[in-house]
Amino acid sequence: MKETHGVACPDFWRSRALSRREVLSVGVLGGVGLGLPALLAQEAAARAHAGARPRATAKSVILLYQWGGPSHLESFDMKPDGPEDSRGEFRPMASNVDGIQVCEHLPRMAKVMDRVSLVRSFTHKFRNHNPPGYYGLTGHAPPSDDQRLRDTPDLFPHYGAVVDHLAPAPKEIPTFVSMPAVIHDGSAVPGQHGSFLGKRHDPLLILQDPNSSDFRLPELSLPGGVTATRLQDRRALLSDLDREAGLMERLGAARGLDVHHQRAFAMLSSPKLREAFDLSREPEGTRDGYGRTMFGQCTLLARRLVEAGVRLVTVYYCRPSGGFIWDTHKDNFPELKSTLLPTTDRTLPTLLLDLEQRGLLNDTLVIWTGEFGRTPKINKDAGRDHWPECYTALFAGGGMKRGFVYGASDSAGAYPTENPVRPDNLAGTLYRAVGLDPATHVYDLQKRPIAIGGDPIHELFA
Amino acid sequence: MTVRWVGILLGVAATTSSPGHASPTLPSRTSPPERPVSFLYDVMPTLSRAGCNQGSCHGNSEGRGGLKLSLRGDIPEADYLLFTRAGGGRRVDRSEPGRSLILLKGAALLAHGGGARFSTGSPEFRVIARWIAEGARFDPAVAPQLVRIEATPREQVVMAPVTRAQIRATALFSDGSRRDVTHLAFYNPGDPRVEVTPGGLVQARPGLDTAVLVRYAGEMASVRLTFVEKRTGYAWRPVPAANWVDDLQYARLRELRLLPSPLTTDVEFVRRAYLDTLGLLPTPDEARAFQTDPRPDRRARLIDALLERPEFDENWTLKWSDLLRLEERTLDPRGNLAYRDWIRVGFASRKPMDQFARELLTATGSTYLNPPANYYRRTRDPIELGETTAQIFLGSRLLCAKCHNHPTERWKQDDYYAIAALFARVDRKLDDRGRRDRFDKHERNGEEEISVAATGRVEHPRTGQAVAPRLPFALEPLAADTPDPRVRFAEWLTAPDNPFFARAMVNRIWQALFTRGLVDPVDDLRDSNPASNPKLLDALARDFARAGFDLRHTVRLLMNSRTYQLSAEPNGTNRDDERFFSRALPQRLPAETLLDAITQITEATDRAGRQPAHVRAALLPAVNKYRHPFLKLFGQPARESVCACERNDDTTLGQAFALISGDLLAGRLAQPDNRVGRLMRAGRSDTEIVQDFYLSAVAREPSSGERERALSYLAGKPDRRAALEDLLWALLNSKEFLLRR
Repeated sequence: MKETHGVACPDFWRSRALSRREVLSVGVLGGVGLGLPALLAQEAAARAHAGARPRATAKSVILLYQWGGPSHLESFDMKPDGPEDSRGEFRPMASNVDGIQVCEHLPRMAKVMDRVSLVRSFTHKFRNHNPPGYYGLTGHAPPSDDQRLRDTPDLFPHYGAVVDHLAPAPKEIPTFVSMPAVIHDGSAVPGQHGSFLGKRHDPLLILQDPNSSDFRLPELSLPGGVTATRLQDRRALLSDLDREAGLMERLGAARGLDVHHQRAFAMLSSPKLREAFDLSREPEGTRDGYGRTMFGQCTLLARRLVEAGVRLVTVYYCRPSGGFIWDTHKDNFPELKSTLLPTTDRTLPTLLLDLEQRGLLNDTLVIWTGEFGRTPKINKDAGRDHWPECYTALFAGGGMKRGFVYGASDSAGAYPTENPVRPDNLAGTLYRAVGLDPATHVYDLQKRPIAIGGDPIHELFA
Repeated sequence: MTVRWVGILLGVAATTSSPGHASPTLPSRTSPPERPVSFLYDVMPTLSRAGCNQGSCHGNSEGRGGLKLSLRGDIPEADYLLFTRAGGGRRVDRSEPGRSLILLKGAALLAHGGGARFSTGSPEFRVIARWIAEGARFDPAVAPQLVRIEATPREQVVMAPVTRAQIRATALFSDGSRRDVTHLAFYNPGDPRVEVTPGGLVQARPGLDTAVLVRYAGEMASVRLTFVEKRTGYAWRPVPAANWVDDLQYARLRELRLLPSPLTTDVEFVRRAYLDTLGLLPTPDEARAFQTDPRPDRRARLIDALLERPEFDENWTLKWSDLLRLEERTLDPRGNLAYRDWIRVGFASRKPMDQFARELLTATGSTYLNPPANYYRRTRDPIELGETTAQIFLGSRLLCAKCHNHPTERWKQDDYYAIAALFARVDRKLDDRGRRDRFDKHERNGEEEISVAATGRVEHPRTGQAVAPRLPFALEPLAADTPDPRVRFAEWLTAPDNPFFARAMVNRIWQALFTRGLVDPVDDLRDSNPASNPKLLDALARDFARAGFDLRHTVRLLMNSRTYQLSAEPNGTNRDDERFFSRALPQRLPAETLLDAITQITEATDRAGRQPAHVRAALLPAVNKYRHPFLKLFGQPARESVCACERNDDTTLGQAFALISGDLLAGRLAQPDNRVGRLMRAGRSDTEIVQDFYLSAVAREPSSGERERALSYLAGKPDRRAALEDLLWALLNSKEFLLRR
């Protein structure tokens, strides 16, 4: 970003509450003119100074983002005894944890509830999709409930961008991957990229359907007619050209460009990463196990990426275009029963069991959440509308408790009755799990220091 | 800096004080204070220095731990009541000062989230304790008021091995008395790598250049300190000056013990000049023509010629389209195009920039027929208009002052709303043609009529009262019967002696030619963010006004300076200089320029791209309709923000992939009828093609080594076409191509 050390509100960073680390990260933002290597060095220094970080309970995060707002009342917060006009058609079923019931259309899920924590008391006030969509991806409340909330650079970056800023993966592996679309409602939901931390913290965005037979990642695939050998030839030609011109020795800006070129070449020639993206290496049985859906295969890919060392993968459960899928204003029950719940029930338990079998569950935090829940009252179209006042998120692995429920809602599932929490706390929990103090400051465009997250939900940690 | 400065702090006695004035300094070891402690001038500054009312503590908009103070003590009257009346009277206990929460918490004798801000027995503790013991009174109305503060030195160059400088702060009161408040003031260095002790001693490593803002009891002053490396053996070598810009620059460089880099070569110059003026690369013919021109004044001639080209107008139209946020959803496609053309015609017809600003700011009528009226269509809220207008035309970021007095500037919250009030009466009538997206309240279709209504209201958030429109820093509001306050504002803004407008404009021009502004960020002009060369900025601003605010005048002046024509190559003194323009600053080609350069070089457009193939990227009127992934990837702004920073010049991994393996470049290289195909069909030899590639991509002939390597690469490959594509690919990925330098 084109910014220098601003002086706005500088007493924040002059106060003793701030560590050397954070002062250094101001320098990171002040990166105009600094060549990129200098910038990277500063970021490295910032990380080196990151003194007392909480012990990480997770190496990686898989965020399964349920775009459109899944009904908490037809998934993990059933209200069989709720008021007549809101009870719904589905019955609860017992799970393998005493006292935790799930929807009858989540039978496989019912058998893995001993591996998860539910938080049934998420609440906020934003009723249109985009603002809470942003809220859930960043942990920062949107400035307004504008249905077409504009994606401006003063809004907060995605969790993955913050992790890439403060605790990135090694060079040949991207820190932050998102798929399979950019979610939107009329306009793109803010909070899916690096925002004021800079484009260099944007996710590696996979906009292809891993469920399609010709899935290939453009970034990691060579254009038609360019073989690996030809790429090597080109790379050699390029390095000759650059050497001859001699700019790299003399100009920081040239070295800055080269950092990214070298990283891209490393990824293009990293078997580890290419293999991670090659779903054909998975046994057919495993691919079937995750479900032959876009969401299922994305989730499988997420597991492969986490295995390869990617730190944060966001899988949006959405339409292929990025439109919402859970927005059941009409025909809530048939929609859920025919598609949404079966897809979830195919993919989510499979992921948890697969991670567990591979010994990855302890190191991988899985979060399943949408931007809000749905109205307790069933509307005239047999649908449910937007309901931010109360909804459920699911956490598993990565140091979370197992078979645990935090928070509760009232008899209609309308409002939290205990331990209300907000997306700020989801952010805090995520950051805490990956070993970042949620109170760590980053600086926005106005140079205001902003804590990356709210308080973690401490009770979730095992 | 640590706030635990107990013990570091040595008391300093008041230098002078008038008899009637209650103004002891901190208790000093040498001269114990005798006069009563002042709430405004002793207690509040003490609390500010202890950090109590900063934004991360009780100054936060939500307060902290149940106590919410005014940010940095902006409103001492309110804070006084909070201390003495609210909180059950426990914060200040006059009968037993030692039991006052303000002391117990401040010294962490009771649990305090903020820890100990001072220790018992410290001067801070004692001054607050004494104030309470003396009755915890607010300053009497008759006591002299603080008028302003002075900080010295105003400007100093500090030469290594010295790496410190002492700031002195003096408060001037209404009775003419002066008081040394060095030990009561609060210091904010602009550069966080600079350390300032509570006693005003600044320490920094050589190479840092910073303003230090000095704040005391609501008044501020700033000090400019430049820490310079000694560079043993440094001697200024006389360099020819092309014009007075160089004279002022050289003086500054000498002061900083920097030497300018050598003059660019003609090869570098021609590419730089084309990119900076037109946003285009020179064609091989143009590059060759310049490089073979024997006339000694060929650079000045080239500059003159470039300034006459229509692409110069288009390049500046793009810059201003970003700044004015031309966007089809809010302006509608017809209005957007009309607005864009109005800007372009303005540049083409050499409209003076003051007139350009006046026409925008005072526009009324149809957004179709009088396109500058779109200024008021794009931004609708008076508050946002005030902010946007200040950022564009004053180069000032006012946002901080929305919620509190600007922390580092003289902009007060009252100014913020008084400026907003200038736009309160702007009225709009839309011939509403409906929305394609009925939920998008930003979308507006149809002609809109902008007018000035008889009334309009902006409220001060604190008082809820209507704010009267007032020109910036004027003492009196505009008369209530002012026909159009915007006209008064525009007159004020574009008066030749206006301190903001010309400086803001020449700073933007400077940035367009030098990669960054003399003040950087380019829209953040303020005392605490000084220009790298203040005398030069002032002189350029005066010259710009004198020359009738003529854009081309200043561009020509700057481009003819040797300073503009310096190479990017560092010398022994300026390797780290990215601020003082002792060498050119290379920059990645901006999104549109890069795409247009690729188009120009490959002679291919992408069929897949959604923009009309024949339109240059720089001329796309609708940045969001034709969302071009390549342009977005390289930082084309969505024009949502008035901040110049929205045009993102980050380099990213995604960009590297786009160039190495991305579809766009791969597709264009492979197109049969592209440049490669054309040259092959024309029967050009390898040597000729290599030469053509180099000239088109980097505006120079290949060196003999480069030519030989390229030829041997081509000779070694069975597929000539593929090998030529490889070579062109390598050139388009080379640093020399990707950088403007």
